[in-house]
Amino acid sequence: MPCHHYDLPTSRREFLRRAGCGFGAVALAALMREPVLAAEAATSNPALSALTRRVGAAKSVIFCFMEGGPSHLDTFDRKPLLNQLAGQKLPASFKEPVLSMGESGAPLLESKRTWKQYGESGLWISDWFENVAAHADDLAVINSCVSDGINHAGGVCQMNTGSIFGGRPSLGAWVNYGLGSVNQNLPGFVVIKDSEAGVINGVRNWGSGFMPAVYQGVEFNSEGVPIKYLDAPKGVSAERQRDKLDLLADLNRDYDATRTDNTELEARIRAYELAYAMQAEAPHAVDLSKETDATKALYGMDQPETAVYGRNCLLARRLVENGVRFVQLYSGAGSKWDSHAKLEENHSKLCRAVDKPIAGLLTDLKARGLLDETLVIWGGEFGRTPMSEQGGGRDHNPNGFTMWMAGGGVKGGQTIGATDDLGLYAVKDRLHVHDLHSTILYLLGVDHTKLVYRHQGRPERVDQNDGHAYTKITG
Amino acid sequence: MISLPSMKSASLLLAGLFAAAGVSSAQDDPQRAAEKFFENEVRPILVNRCSDCHGEKKRKGSLRVDDINYLLTGGDSGPALVPGNPEKSIMIGAIHYDDPDFQMPPKEKLPDKEIAILEKWVKLGAPWPQNDANRIRIDQYGFTEKDHKFWSFQPVGHPAPPEVKSAWARNDIDRFVAKKHAELGLTPAPEADRCELVRRLYFTLHGLPPTQAQADAFVKSTDPQAYEKLVDELLASPHYGERWAQHWLDLTRYAESDGYNQDAYRPAAWTYRDYVIKSLNEDKPYDQFVREQLAGDELDPKNPQVLVATSYLRNPIYEYNQRDARGQYEVILTDMTDNAGEVFLGLSVGCARCHDHKFDPILQKDYYRLRAFFAPVRWRDDLKLATDEERAKFAVEQEKWETTTAEIRTQIDAIVGPMIAQNIKKAYEKFTVDIRAMVDKPPAERTPDEWRYSYFCERQMQYERERFEPLKSIKKPEDKTRYQALIEELKKFDDIKPKPLVDAFVVSDATSKGPPNVLKTRKGEMDVAPGFLTILEAQEPKIVPLSNSTGRRSVLAAWITRPDNPLSTRVITNRVWQYLLGRGLVSTPNDFGRLGEEPSNPELLDYLTRRFIEGGWSLKKLQREILLSATFRQTAHCAPSEAAAKVDPANKYFWRFNPCRLDAEEARDAMLMASGEMDFAEGGPSTDANGTRRSIYTMKKRNSQNELLRSLDAPTGFASAAERQSTTTPTQALLLVNGDWALARAQKLASRVSSVEEAWQTTLGRLPTEKERQMASSFLAKRGGTGEPQVEAPVDSANAAFFKENTSHERLVVRAPEKEGDEFTVEAIVSLDSIDTNAAVRTIASRWNNGKDNVEAFGWSIGVTGEKSRFKPRNLIIQLVGEDENRNIAYEPIASDLRLELGVTYHIAVSVSCSEQTVSFLVQPLDKPGELPRTAVVSHRVRAGLSQGASSLVIGGVSKRAPAHQWDGRISAVRILRGQVADEVLSTDPTNWTAPALIAWNASAAADSQFAWAGPENANGAGSSDSRKQAMTDLCHVLLNTNEFFYLQ
Repeated sequence: MPCHHYDLPTSRREFLRRAGCGFGAVALAALMREPVLAAEAATSNPALSALTRRVGAAKSVIFCFMEGGPSHLDTFDRKPLLNQLAGQKLPASFKEPVLSMGESGAPLLESKRTWKQYGESGLWISDWFENVAAHADDLAVINSCVSDGINHAGGVCQMNTGSIFGGRPSLGAWVNYGLGSVNQNLPGFVVIKDSEAGVINGVRNWGSGFMPAVYQGVEFNSEGVPIKYLDAPKGVSAERQRDKLDLLADLNRDYDATRTDNTELEARIRAYELAYAMQAEAPHAVDLSKETDATKALYGMDQPETAVYGRNCLLARRLVENGVRFVQLYSGAGSKWDSHAKLEENHSKLCRAVDKPIAGLLTDLKARGLLDETLVIWGGEFGRTPMSEQGGGRDHNPNGFTMWMAGGGVKGGQTIGATDDLGLYAVKDRLHVHDLHSTILYLLGVDHTKLVYRHQGRPERVDQNDGHAYTKITG
Repeated sequence: MISLPSMKSASLLLAGLFAAAGVSSAQDDPQRAAEKFFENEVRPILVNRCSDCHGEKKRKGSLRVDDINYLLTGGDSGPALVPGNPEKSIMIGAIHYDDPDFQMPPKEKLPDKEIAILEKWVKLGAPWPQNDANRIRIDQYGFTEKDHKFWSFQPVGHPAPPEVKSAWARNDIDRFVAKKHAELGLTPAPEADRCELVRRLYFTLHGLPPTQAQADAFVKSTDPQAYEKLVDELLASPHYGERWAQHWLDLTRYAESDGYNQDAYRPAAWTYRDYVIKSLNEDKPYDQFVREQLAGDELDPKNPQVLVATSYLRNPIYEYNQRDARGQYEVILTDMTDNAGEVFLGLSVGCARCHDHKFDPILQKDYYRLRAFFAPVRWRDDLKLATDEERAKFAVEQEKWETTTAEIRTQIDAIVGPMIAQNIKKAYEKFTVDIRAMVDKPPAERTPDEWRYSYFCERQMQYERERFEPLKSIKKPEDKTRYQALIEELKKFDDIKPKPLVDAFVVSDATSKGPPNVLKTRKGEMDVAPGFLTILEAQEPKIVPLSNSTGRRSVLAAWITRPDNPLSTRVITNRVWQYLLGRGLVSTPNDFGRLGEEPSNPELLDYLTRRFIEGGWSLKKLQREILLSATFRQTAHCAPSEAAAKVDPANKYFWRFNPCRLDAEEARDAMLMASGEMDFAEGGPSTDANGTRRSIYTMKKRNSQNELLRSLDAPTGFASAAERQSTTTPTQALLLVNGDWALARAQKLASRVSSVEEAWQTTLGRLPTEKERQMASSFLAKRGGTGEPQVEAPVDSANAAFFKENTSHERLVVRAPEKEGDEFTVEAIVSLDSIDTNAAVRTIASRWNNGKDNVEAFGWSIGVTGEKSRFKPRNLIIQLVGEDENRNIAYEPIASDLRLELGVTYHIAVSVSCSEQTVSFLVQPLDKPGELPRTAVVSHRVRAGLSQGASSLVIGGVSKRAPAHQWDGRISAVRILRGQVADEVLSTDPTNWTAPALIAWNASAAADSQFAWAGPENANGAGSSDSRKQAMTDLCHVLLNTNEFFYLQ
């Protein structure tokens, strides 16, 4: 039975034109997830008129977030001196940092890893990431990351939102605010966790802070129904659901007919239609049944240790292919990478769980020609100390740690910045979280100083007016 | 006024200089020569080399170079130059790169020629053209005339209502509005009809829709004063305070959890919410309301009704797992200062924390002056909200109880005391030595700083006491038994134990002396005394310390509530207008500075502000005056005229009523009103928002907000929220159309309406039109006629132990007289034919709806895992949904790792304990004689709530039909016992199940009405086989989703 008696605008442009000025125009534009970079939006926000995107920049981001703080000293930041001084106290020449757990005076802990140089670039990478290492020439390894968050709550919050306190929009929200959406039938920002455990700070890590809720991240389940409430209530058939939505649209259309100036009303009609479209599209986007066994094996889905994260990495590729701007894949949800004791055991297991899947993701993206337009990021909220804790563990280290980026225009095979000889403090080309966020926006073709959201009279930026894009990352 | 180097004196000097240098003497006007030198040589350097960083936009180091006055006043490092004296001019030193730490421009030294020009210019006395178009006069604080003249700093005027000829105006407000309309060529919208008005008034003043009786009473009234009477009636109702408190709680970022990682529940925070509701209902004068919140502890510390108001200063976030005491205090102090600036003064003072405000005349020093009022604040967790009388009574009774139970408690202490002390010691040792030293100091000797910082350590120590779990910590079994016996013994005296006094969640100052309040700049450190915004009041106030408080906050409160304070008075007046008309006269209610908008009708704002103060700061009087205006009574349902669309599309000048969506709380409450389930219980501790209580009384946790309220833009409680957003998203639509909560309301609503007319009346407050009636009827006919397809399947009714999909024996729904609580044992005899090919769990018994994240889902389910389960197939597991120790909702699957073979009959027993936080499993095959039971004990973190969900007990499935989760095979007996039972009570033979059980079912026994079989025909959402009723549920669900339901227009 035909249900769309009313004219849906045939294009977003027309829709926005019709929305015009007046009540609700902002809500409508937000719903349509028009990029603020576009001319349409610029007219309603003069501050943004100068915004233009660089050509040839990354279109989407996949952020592999190792929650809890992976050790840079045992993965991507090799420190021979650490093993020489292992068992001794931190030399007096190093400033004693404030430690989260306060075990002061603990001896330095050696790294038990075997390190090799990989690729033409000869990047040093430990055996915990031997699969990712095969992509050494695609990686820009940033050894000089710095954060303000000494504990998990602050660290995870800052890596996601720029601030160690809640209330600000997350990076994924900024990206969607700036770039808009390619596919209206899917959320622009998707979060997938590797277990049912809650990420520290909960949903506000992917919240939209003071921005409209349309920019917030939506959690996808890696199995079954991808989005909460995507399915009609139990026992409600598709036909019945469609009838309900048709009746709703009909009633709304009559109500709205004499209130055309209030575009929020039209936005609500659209929202229900988009929700319906999402019911069809989202399961398709995450349906892996069409993927070959070879592809699945590439991501490690055929082995129990790597199956979960492998599946999530493959989902990320599919989501990016389907126009999702920002995908965040949590590994170790609930601070599992946090290894105050028994780092060997903890990291062996977790590195194994993500190494092959992430390597598979890079291989697959490259093979499909997607790596140039997809920025892949690896890292956690901070790194770990060269000093030991409880014998075989390491404490939090926000003063110097490693993240890497690949694809999205990044020049591979390079090392950026450096920590001191023990890996405790970043000493060269320090990149604060604000700089990292600015750099990520730069790679997406956006000048972060121009991407402004006005809130309570203040022009707000992703970097809290503090960051510098490390433009040399593109080589 | 600073004396400026005059161009005249400089030009004389210059003339001589040029003469000496042999410059043409034809240039006989030395003033013009100086001007020319400046324009040709000096200004280009300043513009090209300096002004990018030191100009109007960026003001690095708070310095600008685009006017001589800025240079003379200087920036963070002091005056940039001393006219005539290059050696003493730091600007000249900087361009010479004299000091390696202070070199300008930082990237590259200027060419020598340019350095020489600037040096010469300073030597000449730094002449600057007097008729410079950019001439800016600034005073000793660096403020320009423009700053001083900024609108919001001007005294509130006495505008007289303009004479207007319009017959439209009902009161003076309308005369101001009409004048603007006349100026702009706008025409006011017609008055709204009574249906629109009654809905608007109820929502605006109570946050609720009118009931049909309430609406009828007004709509059908013939009383000419009906409108005025309704306004008065609504303002006098207790629901008024419940609605308007929401606005204030938004502003003060109220929430009931710490907001950081742990996000611990704040059990006493609700006392502040009730204080706000009560104050507004009483129409407490606003000045008093402000004074109590800022300084109730100084004004009337013994009065619990006043002390509770300082809970306002407890709203900042807090992290328990944080050892950086100084850093944490700094965060809290900053938050208190920023919020007070926004809420009371309407200024974003936070911008001035690190530098002078870039847009508003707020000095960095002003920020520190304001901060100084809050710097002595000490958070208090040791006080009670009680009168002296209540306190005395409590003390007497408490002492009696303590004396009577002293012996028992001493014995308890002997067992657990050392363990608690050990935990406390560990918490203490996590802090740095200096903080520990503060804790060690006797209270009398502590400095204010030491009070502030030791708090964090002491609170963590106290927390160890609260979270100590004796049954987990006591290791020796004999100690445990003894401990439990002693606790039982102690309970016997509960009847003489007094009810505890209400905990206070408040503040006081640490001592009567304030701590240092240090502002660090490049110039050095400065201890800043309390003071107000310099531009309004440069003098430092006199503050007389009280016996146990600095007295600072009462002085701040007194300044904020001065009738001549131009900011605070206008700010609150504007807020009232905004909450009534949907848009402020100043549309940026938390920003009355330059980045905010200027008032659209400044005379009206000043007029109302005057009226408000003259009316004794009464919010209700101000509201009444606005509500009675013709401006408020305009319809919202009115298309913009051509003029309006062109001149004022945003409706800044109020040519109609602003259409608006119901906010989160209004929408939720309206659904509860429609379904007839609204729980109006007033005040007291909050309850979960998945229940049916009024939204203002629902639990507001920062990290786990209720998803419906969050999706409809309820603020998170991290920062002041002056306005609600109104976002529309597909995920919001999914939640409303597919989510359990909205659906449950629709079901309830459908059960109480008998016709289409009634459905319309109840949801939208009106009857359907003929067209709507027809649409609804054909919808009902179509849906009600066909219904869901029925499944016919064979039923092996001969065997009641048989559970099979698509038969009438799918699940057995149990009507249990009593709930099993959080400590219970389930015993069953089962055999399984198949497991799910995916990850679903075949259920033996449950009280669960398969949900994981709301209170309705609280429950448990015992079953066997499917093929793709992450616990591997055929694992006996229990899933629990309840509260964890922070009162967050916890879902936890707990696997026994005991596996069941298909086709084998087992005796299983599962014993759940939330106090011990363990589950014990037992599995024994009955087909293999001699085989011993296998057991497992697994710990979990759910603390309570397992029986509090909405689900019934079900054998062989969960509460809603879900074939994948149903048992497939036999369940021949099930019983549920209270608590954990001794091994000898368990039995593999159900005929021996004689101990008193909560429920006991045996397939071979006669049918019992307590147990009802359910098959697929009972499977749909409404839990009803009546397809007509189902269709009505759908219709109601649709109505609850309509734009008309969500909008006031």
